[in-house]
This record gives sequence, structure tokens and C-alpha cells, in this order.
Amino acid sequence: MDLNVISINFKFMIGGLFLTFELALMTMGGGLLIGIILAMARLSLRPWLYYPATVYIHFFRGLPLILVIFWIYFLSPVITGKSLEAFPAAVISFIVFESAYFAEIIRSGVQSISRGQTMAAHASGLTAYQTARYVVLPQALRNMVPSLVTQSVIIFQDTSLAYVIGLREFLRRVNLVDAREARSVELYLFAGLVYFAICSAGSLASHRIEKQRERSYH
Amino acid sequence: MIKIKGLSLWYNKGFKALDNVTETIETGRTVVICGPSGSGKSSLLRCINGLEHFQEGEIFVDCLSVQDPKTDIHKLRSDIGMVFQHFELYPHMTAMQNITLAPIRVRQKPKREAEENAMELLKRVEIPEQALKYPEELSGGQKQRVAIARALAMEPKIMLFDEPTSALDPEMIKEVLEVMISLSRGGMTMIVVTHEMGFAREVADEIIFMSNGRIIEKGTNRSFFDHPKSERTRQFLSRILI
Amino acid sequence: MGFFNYTFDWSVLWRHPYGGLLINGILTTLHLSILAWMIAVWLGIAIGVFRVSPFGLARFTGSAYVQIFRNTPFLVQLFFWYFAAPLLLPKPAQEWLYDNVPNYSYWAGVIALGTYTASRVAEQFRSGLLSISRDQYRAAYSTGLTTFQAYRYVIVPYAFRIIIPAFTTEFLTCFKNSALTMTIGVMEITHTAYYIDSFTWHGLETTTAASLVYLCIALCVVLFMSFIEKRIYIPGMIAREQ
Repeated sequence: MDLNVISINFKFMIGGLFLTFELALMTMGGGLLIGIILAMARLSLRPWLYYPATVYIHFFRGLPLILVIFWIYFLSPVITGKSLEAFPAAVISFIVFESAYFAEIIRSGVQSISRGQTMAAHASGLTAYQTARYVVLPQALRNMVPSLVTQSVIIFQDTSLAYVIGLREFLRRVNLVDAREARSVELYLFAGLVYFAICSAGSLASHRIEKQRERSYH
Repeated sequence: MIKIKGLSLWYNKGFKALDNVTETIETGRTVVICGPSGSGKSSLLRCINGLEHFQEGEIFVDCLSVQDPKTDIHKLRSDIGMVFQHFELYPHMTAMQNITLAPIRVRQKPKREAEENAMELLKRVEIPEQALKYPEELSGGQKQRVAIARALAMEPKIMLFDEPTSALDPEMIKEVLEVMISLSRGGMTMIVVTHEMGFAREVADEIIFMSNGRIIEKGTNRSFFDHPKSERTRQFLSRILI
Repeated sequence: MGFFNYTFDWSVLWRHPYGGLLINGILTTLHLSILAWMIAVWLGIAIGVFRVSPFGLARFTGSAYVQIFRNTPFLVQLFFWYFAAPLLLPKPAQEWLYDNVPNYSYWAGVIALGTYTASRVAEQFRSGLLSISRDQYRAAYSTGLTTFQAYRYVIVPYAFRIIIPAFTTEFLTCFKNSALTMTIGVMEITHTAYYIDSFTWHGLETTTAASLVYLCIALCVVLFMSFIEKRIYIPGMIAREQ
């Protein structure tokens, strides 16, 4: 067990975490935004909104992320005439992919609010928009937080896939060091530990939030 | 005044919830609707304020047509108050906020005024001290009284009650019924779906018995209980009155 | 627009040798996923049982397993099994491995996918078991059934129906994750698609084909599950979320 290999290359490898976080945060932001639009489209009664959104969601949930990355990587020269650089390709692929998952979380969060709440709001004369804004969405968002946090943890792990298009995020850097030093056991345990620490922190936070909610709602 | 003519309602699976219902409810009257589960009582109530979309028939509330797409349904609903079996208070808002939400957002009342009115109403239902509590901190009877106050906050001309005491523990039913009785005596037009026959006997001007989506029998207080005309009504009464 | 800079050549999908490569890729994906799934189910159920066991040590082991495998990316686990694990074996075993198992990447993939999916299966299994109320157990015992009988006739059949939809989702996830084994050189369908592109520059056709394969399999699995659900359906049971 030669732990020196970790300490010598520590700075280089941990530097990759910046890129990892950057990818993760951009994906969460973009994914949430598009996810909300998709969720609203799926909840809508208008067929021209419902069907495209449903197809989109089922399509991207049925494919592996790595395939989506390749697809977008191959598709973009066809559409724009020039090939996409690694970072934008990764971000676009991630956002497009994860938004399908966010959309489902949001949709079921909204649908979990009982119909009675909507009826009560309508009975007072509130419009659909007012009902959504003051009654349904505040409750739905509170319910969704644990799932959204879990999905964010997943996104954080998924950034390791940027590896395949050569982005020098954390995992690729570990891999590069391994190629040079061949101390795989120490290095991959190290990588696992780092991810484990960060993701556990995220999961714990989500647990805390859920426990808090449960306490206040008896 | 509420006029219902030939009202029929089907659900998706072909189930007919309401079958050619015709009825007129005069202003200021208290009407109790009773009947077995699935008889269409709640559906009827929800049709009156447009919460349920019906396929046939007409409903006019003070000469405003409920089924006409040109009618401003939100304005219509704000003049009708509704109280639900499961209270349906907004859990993320205090009692006060529950009551003031609609007056502020629909009637554009200034917050101060809405809150003063809300306190008046809470006093009326005898729980002014619960104003800043959240629904989960209140008992069932308190929740329902807040719900009534919430409905009254819009100064409705008509109040609809959908089995308001069915989800309450026995010792809390009385406090809610008392509020409803005083409302009725104060001249409010009320339609109440309920199994509480004591309440019906006390204040109902008319009692309607429904079964399978139809009105089977209706009568004034006295005649309904003492001389029910149809066999079905007699059967129902014998089962719910001990 | 750029669209016209690209000439589609769909024959790349069946032309020799690419057609053969694609078929091989599909088969590899299939048998890799199925092998991994078989490991995952048995291992997952065992761990799930550990997690609800009355023995503290078993519970701890189960929890630790799930936590570790869920909080590290699958790719890291894959690399561990492929690069690091052989180094942990004693020298003679290592040599044997390198000499006798030429497609070790495939087996590393199976082990990694199996153990990773097992942690997810364990979680689904556990939540299925937990969703059965204590009263169900009490009801079963109160009629005189032994522990084994209670599990055999009451608990397991019921839990089975609850768990099936979740298991199907996990199988599909396992299937999709098989694509990641391309990073250690396994020639499953995604890798094949990418590989053909490096020879023909027609990656769009191949990745589209690969996408269709995944979607078709997903569709088949979902249809199969609908079929199973209908066969084992109990009226009134909420078998799945929307």
C-alpha cells in the first residue's frame, strides 16, 4: 500500500473536482429549468404540449447517458456544421438527459397534492394560476426536496461520464495518474472515498430535511 | 335562488352520477340532502359551483348560468362558499392566512382589512386564539371551523357543505353543527349534505333524499321524518336512525 | 444549413463486417446485463434481508454495503474491479487470471454491474418489506401460523406484488448501465456504435441504431411487466406510482 502516490498527485486530482462541480451545478440548474417546463407540459391537458413532453421523457429515460453523450456529440456537426467541443457537449448532454428525470420528480410532486386542495382553492374563486402559485406549488416544492437532492447526488456521480469525451474532471485525472503510476488499488479507493464523502454528505442532508419535515407535520 | 333543471352527469367509465335532477332552492332556505354513498349528493353540490362539469341540464344561480362558458366562473365561485369533508385547509399557511388568501387575491382587499375581517370571523366561530396556528396544530373541529370562516370570508350568498362532520370525532361534531345552526338561523342560503339528522330536524326547511343519482323524495322537516312517502326513504331512515 | 454537409449511409448498419459487429454488440449487451442481473437479484435480496434482520451485525453489514455502493459512481466501481481488484489477488492467482481469462474486462463488467445493481435491488426489496404493516404480521400470527408459514403464505406473496414494478425499473437501469462497460473495452452495443464510427465516420447512424435497441428492449420489458401485473393483479392494490 503506497499512499505516497496519492499525496504526490493530490493537487492534480483534486483540481479535477472543480470541473466536476462546475458540470454538476450547470446540469442541476439547466436540468431543473427544463424539467419544470416539461413537467408543466405533461400536466397540461393540451395534447400539443402533453405528447411531445411525454415522448421526450420516455426517450431520454430509456437510454444510457453515455449513449446520449455520443449521440449529441455526433449529431451536432450534422446540425450546426461544426463539431462541438467537449465541455459544451457534456453540459448539453447532461442537461438534456437529467431534465427528463427532474420532470418526473416535479410532476409526481405536484400530483401528490390532493385534489381537495385544488377544489378548495377553486371554490373560493381563485384562478388556476393563483391556485398553482399560492396553494399547490408551495406544498409540492416542499414535498419534492428530498427527491431533488437525491437526483442532484446522482448528477454529481454522473459527471464522471464526461470521462468518455476526454474532459479532465476528477475521475479522468485519477485515471491518468493510474496510467502513469499503476497503483490502481490506492488510487481507485481514493477516488471512491472522495465521491463517497461528498455524496454521503448530500444524502445525509436530504435525510435531515425529510426528518425535519416529518416532525413538523406530525 | 338556485334553479336546477334536468341535470345529468356521467363519469368516464359510463357511470351515471346524476340522473335528470330538477330542483329549486329559494334564497334564505336551508336544504339538507341525505342518502346512501354514491347517490350523487356530493356531485350535485360540486355542479352548483362549477367544480364538476356536467353533460346535460342547466343550473342557474341567481339568474347566472353555471354551464354557460361565457359566465365568469371565478366570480360566481367567489359568491358561493364551500366547506369540505376533509377540511382542505392549506397546510403551509396559518389559520389567518388560510382565511385571508382569497379576499386578498380575488377581491383585491388590502391586507389590513382582510385580517380584521378574518379576526371577526374567527371570533364568530369561537376560536380567535388559533389565528396564527397551522392546521396540523388544530383539532378536527377547530379545522372545520376555520374552513367555515375561510368560506365566509368571501361574504357568499350561498354556502355549500359537503359532509362537514363526517370526518370528525364524535365530541367535535357538536361545535361545528352549532356554527352551522347559527348560520342557518341568520338567514344564509345553505345546502348541506350530511347524515346528521338531528341537525336536519333542527334547522332544515327542506330535506331531500337521493339515491342512484335521482331525487327520490323531498319534504319539509316534519313530513319527511314522520311520514316518509317512498319505501326506499323508509328503508334508509330505519337504517340511520336508531 | 449544416444538415446537407452530412450524407447518411444507413447501409453501414448491415454491411459486412459492421452488421456482424452490431449483432455481436447487441448480444453482448444482453448477456452481460442478464448475468449481472442474476447476481444482483440474489445478492440484493440477501442484503435486503440483512438490513431488516434483528441481528445488529447483519443490519450493519447490509447498510454499509448499500451506502458504499450507492454513494460511489458506477464508473469508479468498474475501474476498481478492472484495474485494482486483480492486484489484490495473490501473485499466482493474478498470473492465472492474466493468462487464462483473456476477456477479463467482460467479467469485471459483470461483477461490477452485478454488485452495484445488487445494492439498488436491496433497497427496493427492503422498502417493499417495510411497507407491509406490523398488523399484517400480527394478523397472520394470531391465527396460529408459524413464522415460516406467515412469510410463505402471507408476507412474501404480498411483498412480491409490491416489489415487481420496482424490480423492473432496476432491471432496465442495469441494462442501461451495461453501456458503461465500454470504458474498459467491452464491445457492447454503445461501444460498437462508437467503434464503427471510427472506421466509417457514420456515427450518427450507428448511435441511432443503438438508441433504438435500448428503446426497444425498454419497451419489451415494460410490456412484459404490464402482462405480469395483470396476471397477478389484486383489486384495489396500489401496485405502482404514476
